[in-house]
Amino acid sequence: MARAITARAKKAKQAEKAKLHNYYDYGMFMLVIFIVAFGLVMIYSSSSYMAQTHEDYNYDGAFFLKKQLFSALLGVGAMFVVSKCDYHLLIKRIPIIRITLATLIYLLATVLQFVVLFIGRDVNGAKRWLQFGPLGFQPSEITKVAIIVFVAYVIYLSPRMLDSFRGFVKVTIFCALPIGLVLKENMSTAIVLILIMCGICFIASRKKLYYFVAAIIVSVLFAMVLLFGEGFRMQRFDIWLNVETHPKGFQILQGLYAIASGGIFGTGLGESMQKLGFIPESYNDMIFAIICEELGLFGAIMVVVLFLLLIGRIFKIAISAPDLFGSLLCVGVLVHIAVQVLINIAVVTNSIPSTGIPLPFISYGGTSIAILLAEMGMVLSVSNRIRGY
Amino acid sequence: MLKKEGSRDRNLKTHQRQTMTFVFVMVLVFSFVLCGRLSYLMIAMAPHYGVMAKELHERERKIKAKRGNLFDRNGNVIAGNVSVSTISVIHSQVKDPEKVISVLSKELELDENEVRKRVEKVSLREKVKSNVPKEVSDRIREYNLDGVMVDEDYKRYYPYGSLASHVIGFTGADNQGIIGLEVTYDEMLSGTDGAILTLTNASGIEIKNASEDRIEPISGKSLLLSLDINIQTYAEQAAARVMEQKAAKAVSIIIMNPDNGEIYGMVSLPEFNLNEPFVMSDGQKNTDMNVLNAMWRNPCISDTYEPGSTFKIITSAAALNEGVVSLNDSFHCPGYIAVEDRKIRCHKVTGHGSENFVQGVMNSCNPVFITLGARLGTDNFYKYLDKFMVLEKTGVDLPGEAKAVMHNKANVGAVELATISFGQSFQITPLRLMASVSSIINGGHSIVPHFGVAETDEELNIIRKLEFESKNNIISEDISNTMCNILESVVSEGTGKKAFVEGYHVAAKTGTSEKLPRRNNRYIASCIGFAPSSDPKVMALVLVDEPQGIYYGGTIAAPVIAELFDNILPYMGIEKDKGADTDEQSKQ
Repeated sequence: MARAITARAKKAKQAEKAKLHNYYDYGMFMLVIFIVAFGLVMIYSSSSYMAQTHEDYNYDGAFFLKKQLFSALLGVGAMFVVSKCDYHLLIKRIPIIRITLATLIYLLATVLQFVVLFIGRDVNGAKRWLQFGPLGFQPSEITKVAIIVFVAYVIYLSPRMLDSFRGFVKVTIFCALPIGLVLKENMSTAIVLILIMCGICFIASRKKLYYFVAAIIVSVLFAMVLLFGEGFRMQRFDIWLNVETHPKGFQILQGLYAIASGGIFGTGLGESMQKLGFIPESYNDMIFAIICEELGLFGAIMVVVLFLLLIGRIFKIAISAPDLFGSLLCVGVLVHIAVQVLINIAVVTNSIPSTGIPLPFISYGGTSIAILLAEMGMVLSVSNRIRGY
Repeated sequence: MLKKEGSRDRNLKTHQRQTMTFVFVMVLVFSFVLCGRLSYLMIAMAPHYGVMAKELHERERKIKAKRGNLFDRNGNVIAGNVSVSTISVIHSQVKDPEKVISVLSKELELDENEVRKRVEKVSLREKVKSNVPKEVSDRIREYNLDGVMVDEDYKRYYPYGSLASHVIGFTGADNQGIIGLEVTYDEMLSGTDGAILTLTNASGIEIKNASEDRIEPISGKSLLLSLDINIQTYAEQAAARVMEQKAAKAVSIIIMNPDNGEIYGMVSLPEFNLNEPFVMSDGQKNTDMNVLNAMWRNPCISDTYEPGSTFKIITSAAALNEGVVSLNDSFHCPGYIAVEDRKIRCHKVTGHGSENFVQGVMNSCNPVFITLGARLGTDNFYKYLDKFMVLEKTGVDLPGEAKAVMHNKANVGAVELATISFGQSFQITPLRLMASVSSIINGGHSIVPHFGVAETDEELNIIRKLEFESKNNIISEDISNTMCNILESVVSEGTGKKAFVEGYHVAAKTGTSEKLPRRNNRYIASCIGFAPSSDPKVMALVLVDEPQGIYYGGTIAAPVIAELFDNILPYMGIEKDKGADTDEQSKQ
């Protein structure tokens, strides 16, 4: 009898377990793999000429491709592993040190961000890199995950907190340290971090008015600075407004040349002219311009559609997530990708003043792609917990 | 209990789902906006940025198309090409800038700083000097300097120097027409430049695998002109002589076929050297565009003047054609005529006394023409101005033609009409006068004066004849013949005696116009003549601007007509009329 009960309980538990894991968003998984593969193709296309002709890259056309492929494989591994883990592990206290993984990531990111200021590798006058032997990475990318996880965790601890403005201020104070540390060396990334934080809070909060008022106040202040603060007006705005004539508008103008050369169907994969040194480091933030040039308007819109499909998947998982924490994790990732895609394309098309933000999954950058893939793993892990989906 | 509430809070709520949807929709909206922006850039701005980008990528080595020749009516080349070179430097390939600077400045005779600026400028390709003679460019090529490019092309060359300079015009550094026929027929002459297109990377190094496109140049077509270098030379010599004798400010001569409008010669002294159009007559180079434009200006078509008595041809033809006067109508000239409250004087203060219409023309008697004008009336007069196209441009194939300056018809009273009748108070271009008079004496069809006769290839094989508009029945043929006879009598017996050429029936009308402002003793003496009067083959107009001393058209311009015709008519193979000879002899 007892055995029968145990057997039945076991069966029920198995059924429960099956129910828990009955969904895994393979569609999204494949979509991510596709975007990453497309990114690798574009990196090879945009970087091979530079790599072939420069001593720094051993005249190896596949130099950038190889490095990116390594990070991508690492990232896909991470994505797979993370997606198979329960995301609730993030908020379980780790035995011995008795803090949650979320807090740990937050502390780790802050420390790395602090350390990079002192022992970071200097690239183009900014210390953004940490080097461990042959491996180098950008702590600011880790900070992005840290902010997503930590803000979601803080809201999970007291969901009602954000119904008042004080709650939002509290969250801001929690995030102020890592964001501030990023801001010192890299304003663009700091903007992404702030938008991720605000995005998560905005969704968790019952009172939306704060955000709209705050957005309006920020816009007005911004406009005031632009209109009356002739002295403060930043060079970037001058470049933005006079891209064709400003001597420092060179890079953006070259990007525009690339985009406009594309036409409807582009010059063909690998046929870009602008990657031949006209756009410096065309495999980086400006890679979208090369996509436009080689694949045309059609290809460019396809890329946008791919990202929208991915964002749509994440959105679907976010609204169907089994709990607020999982949902907010997805929202953080969604905002992260959406903000980077939109700002990157806006900058490349000179729709907004220039700021250096890479195109997710596609721009060259090992840390970025690995971390993004890990984030995808997190979203997949949430999808894995959706019941009866 | 508390825990339960907390856990409920930890579930997703409707408002949160709504907000997520809002955020997602915002992302969609921004994406659409960016796609719109992309479409704008890639479709609407593609020509703009695309062209700029192409310029950046392509190292285009132009192969200049050979510009077509200009041939005079006898097939002489009056504008041709010589081989020259363009020297340029490619900054990124220059290895020894100091040597390049010293060699180029020495060989090209340029200021060293000037060359240094070009060599040190960071650009894909910088032109140092164009139109370098072949010997010099061959020498430069022998130095074998890295980064120095020698490209051969053609330069316009005018074998006759200053001959018909205002008409022919010249070309600029890119072989484009600047003035004259070189402008009007630029498209025909210039052909299509060819190019060797290579793609370069950002450092200006040609990309090895990129295919090299070669577009062959298409040589320009040549142009056969009605201009005759011999007639033009006679005319220039005659003009120079009268200019020197009368210490005139300027002299213009136009020689034209009144039947079809082909212009044989057009002189406006002083001419300038077409091979060095920026050098003034004193041998100094000038860069002041106002001074240069004044020198290049062709007064025969660009300047207007008061035609004076020469315009009486038009008044006469109008009056005859309208039937308001017959040849034997008699007039009386007391030396003036009263028009409204004004007394308008005849040039002969004592008056011509009694005269018939033909004598009135021979005497160029102002009161006769004022009377004709009054008989015609303003409406009829303007009808004939319209018929003879006096107020329109001639449509000559030269750039910069001026239009007549004429009273507004509504403001023409009796006094204005009177002054117009004898050629005062309005202005037309010399060529306009010729074209209008042509339609009166050629049997009554309008002509468009022109130089271009046919599009040809380099060997003068005609590809296409150029067509110019002609309207018939401007006046009746009878009236036309009558006008020829009357104008011949002006030479045989009237004010144009000095235009007489032995053995030919020359017809002419002289004119003397006082320049504005009046009473400054500045005149234009003119004479328009044609021959043979029974079948006009050639017509000439001479304008002497501000002659010193005697200024009457009949005295100083008419002899020039005689001198011209004396040379031109035999040259054109027009036989002397024995009868004309004897006629004159019997009169004498």
